[in-house]
Amino acid sequence: MRHRLRDPVAGLLFVLPMLVLFLIFRFVPAFGAAGMSLTDYKISGEWTFTGVDNYARLLRDPIFLGSLRVTVVYVAIYVPLTVVVALGTALLLNSVIFLKGLFRGMLFLPYVTSFVFAGIIWRWIYDFDGLLNGLLGYLDLGPVGFLDDTALVLPSLAVVQVWKGFGYSMLILLAGLKAIPESYLEAARVDGASAWQRFRLIVLPLLRPALFFVLVIETIGAFQTFDMIYVMTGGGPSRASFNLIYALYDQGFKFFDLGYAATIGVVLFLLVFVVSMIQRRFIDRSAA
Amino acid sequence: MTLTAAHPAAPTAPAPTRRRTWGRMSGRWPLVALLAVVSILTVSPFAVMLVLALSPPRAPTVPHQWPDALTLDNIVSTLTAAGFVSWTVNSLIYAGVSVVVILLTASMAGYAFAKKRFPGRDALMWAFLATMMVPFQATLIPLFVLVSSLDGVDTFWGMIVPTLANSQAVFLMRQFIRDLPDELFEAARIDGASEWRIFCQIVLPLTRPILATLGVFVFLWHWNDFLWPLVVAQSEELRTLTVGLTSLRGEEYPLAMVMASAAVSVVPCLVVFFLLQRYLVNSIASTGFK
Repeated sequence: MRHRLRDPVAGLLFVLPMLVLFLIFRFVPAFGAAGMSLTDYKISGEWTFTGVDNYARLLRDPIFLGSLRVTVVYVAIYVPLTVVVALGTALLLNSVIFLKGLFRGMLFLPYVTSFVFAGIIWRWIYDFDGLLNGLLGYLDLGPVGFLDDTALVLPSLAVVQVWKGFGYSMLILLAGLKAIPESYLEAARVDGASAWQRFRLIVLPLLRPALFFVLVIETIGAFQTFDMIYVMTGGGPSRASFNLIYALYDQGFKFFDLGYAATIGVVLFLLVFVVSMIQRRFIDRSAA
Repeated sequence: MTLTAAHPAAPTAPAPTRRRTWGRMSGRWPLVALLAVVSILTVSPFAVMLVLALSPPRAPTVPHQWPDALTLDNIVSTLTAAGFVSWTVNSLIYAGVSVVVILLTASMAGYAFAKKRFPGRDALMWAFLATMMVPFQATLIPLFVLVSSLDGVDTFWGMIVPTLANSQAVFLMRQFIRDLPDELFEAARIDGASEWRIFCQIVLPLTRPILATLGVFVFLWHWNDFLWPLVVAQSEELRTLTVGLTSLRGEEYPLAMVMASAAVSVVPCLVVFFLLQRYLVNSIASTGFK
């Protein structure tokens, strides 16, 4: 009898510390977000139930709608850019043997740094007195306001996030490429398939699971961008880089309108959820 | 980016062996050159930062000119600045405590999920995994309200404890421990070892490589973390390095000083990278760990 109980009791005891942490700091806030979005919770702790008022307010709030537009545009710029860079570097690494380890290390290096660190360096690279405008100056071009032009600020920020993060997706795709049997490519080669045909008809279909993973991870990452924007532009110029997370932060910690800020958090969750579902569906269908 | 060029063809027509080998090599050198250029461009911001950090503090603000002489003055004054030192200590505490506690609690939970049968196990594992779908920022506000109602705002525990609930860590440990042979645990049990002893003397030693990897990741997550320390640690005494760095702006902070601070702040990440690159790369490639 004692022996039969030993496993369940030990199992529960071993899982207990992490379970308590999860219950308090993950599950409670996750449901709390949904609950708070139905109230006008203030920093003082006072609140009344307001139903869907917060959601109705979001639809009429030009600052929120602007932040939504910024977020969507940013995702649309960042995700294709980072996937192309990651795939390109992964393909290069996969076809080169000379100094491969060194190159892989160099390409991966920015991944271990922080977005704050990346933001501080690139803030200067983009500056009017900075590196890029210095180089453009030699060519008698510029100066370009990379972070001061409403049309340029999102592409400029996307480049920084690509720089900081593409090494991760590159490694995922490289592992996917390595899993493709050399004999498939060899057979296609013998049959006279061109490099492009081999890439499109063999490599790309077999790489689909890895590509799907990278697409989802990078899209979710792009929705959550904050640190870098905080350091580099503060959401400007004229809110041109004021994204969803910035709106949430502003409402929560500048205006202390916590119920409303929590509502923006719920919208963020829904967006991330819907995008992963759509991408999954899209990839499944094209795989069929 | 040309994808075709990136996947090079060996000559398709049969050719004499020597020429073919040469053809393969010559076909790849442009790729090596391209890869070298991309790699050098990728690390060049580090070089730029280093040059600025080693430039004389009062250098003119036309920094694309190479400085006449390099100096360690900025690095030295960064390392002796009271603010910087206290931010570094805070970051070390934030990251260090998290590494120790997460390694312990995640390997305990991972062991239970992998090798123990208890009621609700699969549902619980599923619930843990489901929290990965919820972005941290989506729960930032309720988490802040919760921590503040527990009087945790502006305290070390309020900053650290909420970040210890980590589903990725549990999942990684579970995957790894699941592959350990059951006979090991059976044998120890027949020998009369207690559950805790089995955990300490079998699970922990056998998971050392994955614990090292997880430790590196947890360290980097916390060392580089920003939003949570920004909102929860509002007073100067609790500021972490990332939050402190963002406050270095304006006239009183010459660019060279900001770059020197950034350079020093990234040293632990680089040390980790150079010592444990293989672990990082392998675990990302095999498990998609982020």
